[in-house]
Amino acid sequence: MNGWSGFQRDLVEQMPLILAGLRQTLQLTVIISVTGFLFGLVVFYFSNSPYRWVRSLIQGYISFFIGTPLIVLLFLMYYGLPQWGLKLSPFLVAVIGFTMNVAAYNAAYLTTARNGLDPTEIESARAQGFGRGQIFRWITLPQVLRLSVPALTNQCIGNLKDSSVAFLIQYTEFFARIQELAATNFQFFKAYLLAAGVYLGLVSILVLMARQVEKWTRLPGLGR
Amino acid sequence: MNFFELVAQLAQGLVSTVVVTLVCSGTGMAVGLTVAGLRRMGYARVVPFLDGFTYIFRGVPVLVLLFLVYFGLPSVGIKVGPLLAMALSLGLIAGAYLAEVFRGALDSVEASEILAAEAMGMSRFQILTSIEFPQMLRLAVPGMINEFTSILKYSPFAYTVGIAEITKQAMTLTATTLRGIEIYLAVGVLYFLIYRILLAGVHYLEKRYQVPGLGTT
Amino acid sequence: MALIRIRNLVKQFGNHTVLDGVNLDLQKGEMKVVMGPSGCGKSTLLRCINRLVEPTSGTILVRDQDIMGAEVDVRALRQSIGFVFQQFALYRHLTVLGNVMLGLRKLRGMSRAEAEAQALFQLNHLEMADHRDKYPSQISGGQKQRVAIARALAMDPAVVVFDEPTSALDPVMVREVADLFNRLNREGVTLLCVTHDLALASQIANRVLFLDQGVIRADDTLENLAKHHPNDQVRAFFGEKEGRS
Ligand SMILES: Nc1ncnc2c1ncn2[C@@H]1O[C@H](COP(=O)(O)OP(=O)(O)O)[C@@H](O)[C@H]1O
Ligand SMILES: [Mg+2]
Repeated sequence: MNGWSGFQRDLVEQMPLILAGLRQTLQLTVIISVTGFLFGLVVFYFSNSPYRWVRSLIQGYISFFIGTPLIVLLFLMYYGLPQWGLKLSPFLVAVIGFTMNVAAYNAAYLTTARNGLDPTEIESARAQGFGRGQIFRWITLPQVLRLSVPALTNQCIGNLKDSSVAFLIQYTEFFARIQELAATNFQFFKAYLLAAGVYLGLVSILVLMARQVEKWTRLPGLGR
Repeated sequence: MNFFELVAQLAQGLVSTVVVTLVCSGTGMAVGLTVAGLRRMGYARVVPFLDGFTYIFRGVPVLVLLFLVYFGLPSVGIKVGPLLAMALSLGLIAGAYLAEVFRGALDSVEASEILAAEAMGMSRFQILTSIEFPQMLRLAVPGMINEFTSILKYSPFAYTVGIAEITKQAMTLTATTLRGIEIYLAVGVLYFLIYRILLAGVHYLEKRYQVPGLGTT
Repeated sequence: MALIRIRNLVKQFGNHTVLDGVNLDLQKGEMKVVMGPSGCGKSTLLRCINRLVEPTSGTILVRDQDIMGAEVDVRALRQSIGFVFQQFALYRHLTVLGNVMLGLRKLRGMSRAEAEAQALFQLNHLEMADHRDKYPSQISGGQKQRVAIARALAMDPAVVVFDEPTSALDPVMVREVADLFNRLNREGVTLLCVTHDLALASQIANRVLFLDQGVIRADDTLENLAKHHPNDQVRAFFGEKEGRS
C-alpha cells in the first residue's frame, strides 16, 4: 500500500489550491463576521423602536432566522433565484445568507444583554435631556456591547466553522479543496482528519484572540 | 403543482428530519449528561479526557466531522450507516455543547443540599441522579433549547449522506419543477414550524416539571 | 454504654488546629448542648461524627464501634445519624413530602406507598402534613426546620444532631424550637445540639459543654458558668448574652 506517500505527494501537489481555499475560508469568515455584526447592530437598534409594528417585525426576523437552517436560505438564493433570472455567485450568496443569519443571532445576544441593564440608567439619561438616539449611542450600546463580547466572539468562531457549509453551494473554500484532495487518491479518512485538524487549529487561535478581546473590553463592575 | 401540493411533497421528508433531530438530540443528551456527570463525580483521572472531548468536538465543524465519519471511516475499514453517522457527528458535537451547558447549571446546585444528601448516607452516584441532575435539568432549559434548535438547523446535512429528509426532497423537487423559490420558501416555513413545535414541546415539559423557586421561566 | 463516645479528637485543616483533643459522651435518650463562640469548631465537631470531615486523630465510637476503622460502612453510619443543618438544606426540586420520602426510597429501598406512609407519619408528628405538596421556597424558615427534622427522623436514626438550629430563624421562634426539642427528647429521641444561642440552651438543658480553643473547657450548669467559672472570658460568654435575652 502506498497510502501515506501517495497522500503526501497529492497533498504537496495540491497545496497551492488548498492554501487558496484556506484564504477563501478566512476571507468569508472575516467578511460575514463584520457584516453580520454591523447588520446585527441595525436589527438591534430597531428592536427597541417606539413603533409596535417595527418591534414585531424585528422579533419575527430574529425568530425566523434562528428557527430555520442557514442552508435553506443559501439554497433558496443559489438554486431558487435563477428562476427569476437572478444568478448570484456562490460567494455573494454566502455573504448575503450568512449576514442575515448571523445578524439575527447577534441581535438576539444584544437584546438579552439589554434586558439585563439597569433601567434607572436610561431613565436618568432621559431626565438629563438625552434623546433616543443619543441614549442608544452613549448609554445602551457601550454597555450592551461589553456584556455581549463573549457571545459575539463565540459567534465569530461559529462563523469560521459554519463557513464550511459554503462548499455545498460550490464555493471553493478550504473544505471544497479538501474534497478534491480526497477525490484524487481516495484517502478520505486522512483528508478529512487533516481538515478537522486545521479547523481545530484555527478555532484555537480564535479562542485565544477572543480571550484577549474580552480582557480589553472588560469594565470594573459591569457584568461577568 | 400548487403551493400546497409542494408542501405535501416536502412533508414526505418530514419524518426523516424529525428522526434525525431526535436521534441526534438523544445522543447529545446522553453524552452531555455522561460527560457532565463524570466531571461532577470528581474522578481527577478522567477530567483531561473530558476536557479533550469537549475541546475537539466543539472545535470541528459538523459537516467536516460528518464526512470524516461517513466517508472517512470506511477507508480505514469501519462502515457506518447514515443515521449512525449523524449521531456520531452532530450528536456528539451537541453532546459536547450540552456538557458545557450542564456544567454551568450544575454549578448552581446548592452545595448545602449536596452536603445534606451526603450526610443522609447517599452515594455520590445517588446524589448525582436524585439531587443534582433533577435540579440541573430545570436550570439548563434555556441552554438546552439553544442546542436542540441548533441540532434541527444542522439536520439538513443528513442529505449529504443520503437521508431523504426535507432538504433532499426540496432538491429533487427543484430539479424537476425548476421552482426553487417557492420550494425553498416552503422549506423555510416548514423548518420554522418544526422549530416552533419543538419550542412549544420543551416549554410544555418545562411547565409540567416546574418547581417554584427553581430555575427560570 | 454511651451512644457516642469521643476521645482525644483532633482535627487540623492544614496547620490550623481546630479541634485539639475533644472528649465527649452522649448517652442514649440524652439531649446534650455544646456551646462556643463562632469559629470554635462546633460544626467541625458534628461533621467528624458522621465523617463528613475526616478527623486527624483520636477515636469516635458510635454504639461501641470505632467509626474510623477501615472496614466501617460510612454510608450506613451516616444513615444512623440524623443531621439537621443550619440552613436546613431542603432539596429545592422536591416537595415537602418528597424531601422526607427520598431517603426512604433510595436508601431504605421502600416502595412508594410504604415510604409515603412513613413520611406522612413523620410530617404529621411535626405538624407539617398540611404542607406536604409545597416546595421549600413556599414555606417559612421554621417550617423548613420541621421538614428537615421529619426528614431526619424518618430514617429512624440513633441520634439527631443539630447545627445552630436557631441561627436561621427569627429570634421569637426560639421558644417554639425549644418546646419542640423538649418534646422530641421526652419521646425518646437522642439529640446533640451545637449552638451559640444562650436563650435556646437555657430552655433545653441544665448543663452545657463549652467548646473553646479546640477543647471542651467546661461542663457545667449555665448559672455556674456565668457566675463562678474561674475564667473571665467564659463568664463573659455566658453572662453577657444571658443579660440580653
Ligand atoms: N474545610 C475547611 N477547610 C479549612 N478550614 C476550615 C474548614 N472548615 C472549617 N474550617 C475552619 O475551622 C474553624 C472552625 O469552623 P467551624 O467548625 O465551622 O466553626 P463553628 O461551627 O463553631 O462556627 C474555622 O476557623 C474555620 O475557618
Ligand atoms: Mg458552624
